[in-house]
Amino acid sequence: MNKEKEQLIEEFEHLTEDSAKFLFITRGKEFQQEAVEKLTALKQKISLFKEKAVENEDEDSANFALSLELFIGALISELRMWMALKEDDPNKAWDYLADAQLLVRNAAQAHRTAEERAEGYANKLYLLEKLLFPPQIFLSPGFIHTKEECSICGKEYGECEHIKGKAYMGKICHTIMKDIEIKEVSFVNEPAGKYRRVLQLTDEHGITRDLMTWKRIEKVD
Amino acid sequence: MLKIGNYVDVKKKAQEIGCNVPETLALIPRNFESARSKEDLVHESSALTVRKLWQQNNIIETPIEKPGEKLPLVAEAAFEWIGPTIFVAAMLLSQNPNLVTIALNVISNYLTDWFRGVVKERQKVKLNVIVEKKDGDYKKLEYEGELEGLKSLPGVIKVVYEKNE
Repeated sequence: MNKEKEQLIEEFEHLTEDSAKFLFITRGKEFQQEAVEKLTALKQKISLFKEKAVENEDEDSANFALSLELFIGALISELRMWMALKEDDPNKAWDYLADAQLLVRNAAQAHRTAEERAEGYANKLYLLEKLLFPPQIFLSPGFIHTKEECSICGKEYGECEHIKGKAYMGKICHTIMKDIEIKEVSFVNEPAGKYRRVLQLTDEHGITRDLMTWKRIEKVD
Repeated sequence: MLKIGNYVDVKKKAQEIGCNVPETLALIPRNFESARSKEDLVHESSALTVRKLWQQNNIIETPIEKPGEKLPLVAEAAFEWIGPTIFVAAMLLSQNPNLVTIALNVISNYLTDWFRGVVKERQKVKLNVIVEKKDGDYKKLEYEGELEGLKSLPGVIKVVYEKNE
């Protein structure tokens, strides 16, 4: 397993370095698409390795593979972000950026393999968010709930031993809220998820604009 | 940023609304001070994680919930980590003050992992601590800021506990 791990790391490093060449807006879309395909193929290979690790109950290897999978997922999302921007679809590009940020965070949480690399990459993605996109208005819901279910074992979160944000046998622990009541929705600068944002605003003259492109949106009766 | 203010008599209030009286370390519902009855009480959803972390590190809590009781949870979908309110009894501060440091370190270490892959600027924490003072008064410490800043809390708790007003 160790030899296989070393080989995977080598392939991962080689491919991430190669893909980094295409993480720019000026690069041809065909090269970016090719990089996505290569990364997807490696991700599949790593997933198979992870399945084997889980079968062997080798938790460290399973989490190692999860970390690489997630990191590759982040790179694929960034490549797709650049492609979406070139397709004049900034809203889609934003979602890809949000995906990349989430995936790189989970990659760092999953295993120390990606930790150092993820820190630098998270900084880069943060800068891209600030430089490429206008400031966004985020919505953050507040919930009251009576139960949380653990994503790892399915038991009530308060009654199992798993901890939110930690990796267990190739999966990150999160919780599923049950019996939810929405308490409020607030506007925030730093939301938990960057997908919930205001898409359009209507000004005092009745003009509605897309907040990302500033294009006028005509009302359809 | 750290704000220090007065807080209701925790033990008296716990008795009044029919909760267990916390003797050492406890997680206090976020609205404990304003709650009119036990039915009003709600915990931060992070309370479940903190409780588990303490259990896994052999830190004994004296919960205000009676055995088998479960309080509703509140979750804000904000990026910052909103911690539960921690109650520290005077008895604990006089007999085993190191336990407070250990309990806070456990949270701090967890958050270091929690914030991996997140830029420093966004690693924000909110945590309230209620201190039962030597003289029997209660103070609320409201911390809001960077994760690093949590390190200073045990020292502040000690000073607040001992200070006569």
